[in-house]
Amino acid sequence: MTREAFTRELAALRESLLRMAGLVESQIDDALTALRQFDRAGADRVRMSDQSINELFRQLREEIFQVIATQQPVARDLRTLMGVQYIAIELERMGDYAVRIARRTSTLAGLPHDQLRPEFGLMGELASQQVRDILDALIEENAERAREVAAKDDEIDRLYNRLFDSLVDDVGDGAHEPEDALRLVTLINVAHNLERIGDRVVNVAEDIIFLSTGFVVELD
Amino acid sequence: MSAGGTEAAPVVLRTLPGASPTKVSIERVSFYYGKFRALKDVSLQVPEKRVTALIGPSGCGKSTLLRMLNRMYDMVPGSRAEGRIVLDGEDVVTTRNLLELRQRVGMVFQRPISFPMSIRDNVAFAPRLLGWKKSDIEETIERSLRDAALWDEVKDRLNLPGASLSGGQQQRLAIARCVAVNPEVILMDEPCSALDPIATLKVEDLMGRLSQSYTIVIVTHNMQQAGRVADYTAFMLMHPEHRHGELVEFAPTVELFQRPKDKRTEDYITGRFG
Repeated sequence: MTREAFTRELAALRESLLRMAGLVESQIDDALTALRQFDRAGADRVRMSDQSINELFRQLREEIFQVIATQQPVARDLRTLMGVQYIAIELERMGDYAVRIARRTSTLAGLPHDQLRPEFGLMGELASQQVRDILDALIEENAERAREVAAKDDEIDRLYNRLFDSLVDDVGDGAHEPEDALRLVTLINVAHNLERIGDRVVNVAEDIIFLSTGFVVELD
Repeated sequence: MSAGGTEAAPVVLRTLPGASPTKVSIERVSFYYGKFRALKDVSLQVPEKRVTALIGPSGCGKSTLLRMLNRMYDMVPGSRAEGRIVLDGEDVVTTRNLLELRQRVGMVFQRPISFPMSIRDNVAFAPRLLGWKKSDIEETIERSLRDAALWDEVKDRLNLPGASLSGGQQQRLAIARCVAVNPEVILMDEPCSALDPIATLKVEDLMGRLSQSYTIVIVTHNMQQAGRVADYTAFMLMHPEHRHGELVEFAPTVELFQRPKDKRTEDYITGRFG
């Protein structure tokens, strides 16, 4: 085996990506826990945790740039570097959605509230499970598994549409106090961010397929 | 993505080379130096007016294969070829007209060699041997030096010795000498390995332009060069046990460098070989 230093660099980059993925996974779970409990302190912790993810993302991009510039990778090596970069971008955005959910949670915590509708719990569980599953597919670099995970996004979309329609109906009922209107709009926003996490999972699935096969695909 | 209501044109950097007829058909070719089999059963269709690169580690037979295309091996005592190499219907392996073959299939070597004569005479050398008319030869000198992207640099000093040129210029002079007799195929055996990076890039640019008129086959140790210049790439390897060279994979270069099909190709181009 030659190119030992390069092989080490690629392994280290992969490890950094998986570390970043683990952080994002926890961040999403923590955001959903805080949401369920209208926990402002928990939401604050989610917002703070974003800094370390952003820093890891910055380091990863610098390292990838450096390796491409110095090692002139081709074939699988080049795919790995590009794939790691693509996936890191998606993970960072998922983290951003978790932060947005945390911000909305802080807003909701300051408003009169009932229990969350069950669709939120279902969407949260599905999104969180999808993130876990796609990270398993990433660790295995398993294109088939990535496709299966991506296909489950339809269920999140269906729940989102149902939730969106019902919240819009509530807004349309009228006779709301401004605080009620704010609560409903905030909830729509939370649902939207959950739905976007699912979309990013689909993007990661596409990146895993690229990584393992070298073909750029579009999964709907 | 759309812009202004119309579909945006896709951005195309480099596509698979378009279909091209076969210029040289290499069919189950083997080659022996005495009893040693240096190449075994190589089959390859070299497309017309495209650059085809032969890559692989030392000893894989790529230079042997290249030299078979214009029978350079005839000078090696005890050597023997099997199989067919068909150039426009004629078998190179069995042809008796070597002069015509080498006029049709020219060669540029690793080290820039200029003959010990003026730049002008270097280019006119082969046409004079072939008895061309003087006026034709004068025309050929300018055309060949232009084809080799050297004219502008030497037009005012055609009577200076070829050896007064830099290494990169001398290599382009060798290319001018080669194209002077209107070959159909140009063989290049590591044409840039003795050149600095700038001279290398000039010769590489030149290959791209020449491939509009000529079929080019290049042997290179430099994989990045194959990636830059070749439309098609053949990866060859020495058999670990029998030590003969064989073809592992032949594909459009963009495919070979993105998604090689054979693990041995992947290992070699990513530097995991050996």
